[in-house]
Amino acid sequence: MSRSPATAALLLLLAACTGSGPSLVAENVEITRPLPGSGMSAAYLELHNSSPEEIRITRVVSPEFAAVELHESLVEDGVARMRPLDSLVVPARGMLLLARGGKHLMLHGAAPAPDTVSLQFYADGELLLTVTAPVGD
Amino acid sequence: MNPLRLLLALVSLVALSTGAWLAYRMTTPPAAPQTATVLPAPLPLPEFSLLDGLGDRFDREAMRGHWSLMFFGFTHCPDICPLTLQVLAAARAALADDGRQQIPDVLFVSVDPERDSVDTVRGYAAHFGPGVTGVTGELAELRKLTDELGIYFGKVPTAGGDYSVDHSAAVLLIDPEARFRAVFGAPHELAAYVHDLPLLMAAP
Repeated sequence: MSRSPATAALLLLLAACTGSGPSLVAENVEITRPLPGSGMSAAYLELHNSSPEEIRITRVVSPEFAAVELHESLVEDGVARMRPLDSLVVPARGMLLLARGGKHLMLHGAAPAPDTVSLQFYADGELLLTVTAPVGD
Repeated sequence: MNPLRLLLALVSLVALSTGAWLAYRMTTPPAAPQTATVLPAPLPLPEFSLLDGLGDRFDREAMRGHWSLMFFGFTHCPDICPLTLQVLAAARAALADDGRQQIPDVLFVSVDPERDSVDTVRGYAAHFGPGVTGVTGELAELRKLTDELGIYFGKVPTAGGDYSVDHSAAVLLIDPEARFRAVFGAPHELAAYVHDLPLLMAAP
């Protein structure tokens, strides 16, 4: 069935209107205070993906820290391990939880110790989300 | 009712109640730890020599006279180690709030002597509040302690020439005679410590 140019334009306009709002949002963001000695902090949060495609976060950057690494803690046979992750995958129309004892962001190299932290989430070079949160007690 | 019959009824009631209570006490087992695993027999700590946060010698003798919760970790760990120490510090606070007489100290033993100096462990331990002590030392002295207690640790290279340290997640309960008495496995829950510690520390 062929559509007239007017109908196609109307459909495009509707698509633009209904696609409003970011696909990736963060909730319950917690940034721990830098630990004495290492100066390391951890970031925990929920990443919610409202799009029909999974989102693969490949890099996180923070202006307050020299480096942000993606990590996962796990306990296997009574041994605690911390392993780097290549990416964080937020499922389509789903949520990825970063929480204590599991997946988390490891932040290090802060100078001076910040009171507020900004986190920028990238997927293959594209900035998808910027989150700003206070550092906890 | 006839006073004599009333008296008889009261005596019968008291006798029955007493019998029921005695039967309950004889058949109901005493409270027991729900999470910690108690060793069949206390295991004396081996001889070892580490350094506390002031650079003073810390050995088996330093652990006598009080109960201790011993945890092995490293300061370049932003997740599991702080989480565990926070739970242990909270357990101390909970026991104190309950008015308990016996409050265990928390001992953080660094298994990363390359990066965790005396100053580092002092500041790190202080971060978690009173009653938390950090110790560090030579690898050979650490091994004397960890090998005897069944504690594992090992370096794991990461990107950029850095490394992490895999380590046993267990928390060990040491008694005032410097003997290994019980172990808590991960995950470490505050409620488990609040329930079990008074029972463990009251045991002969």
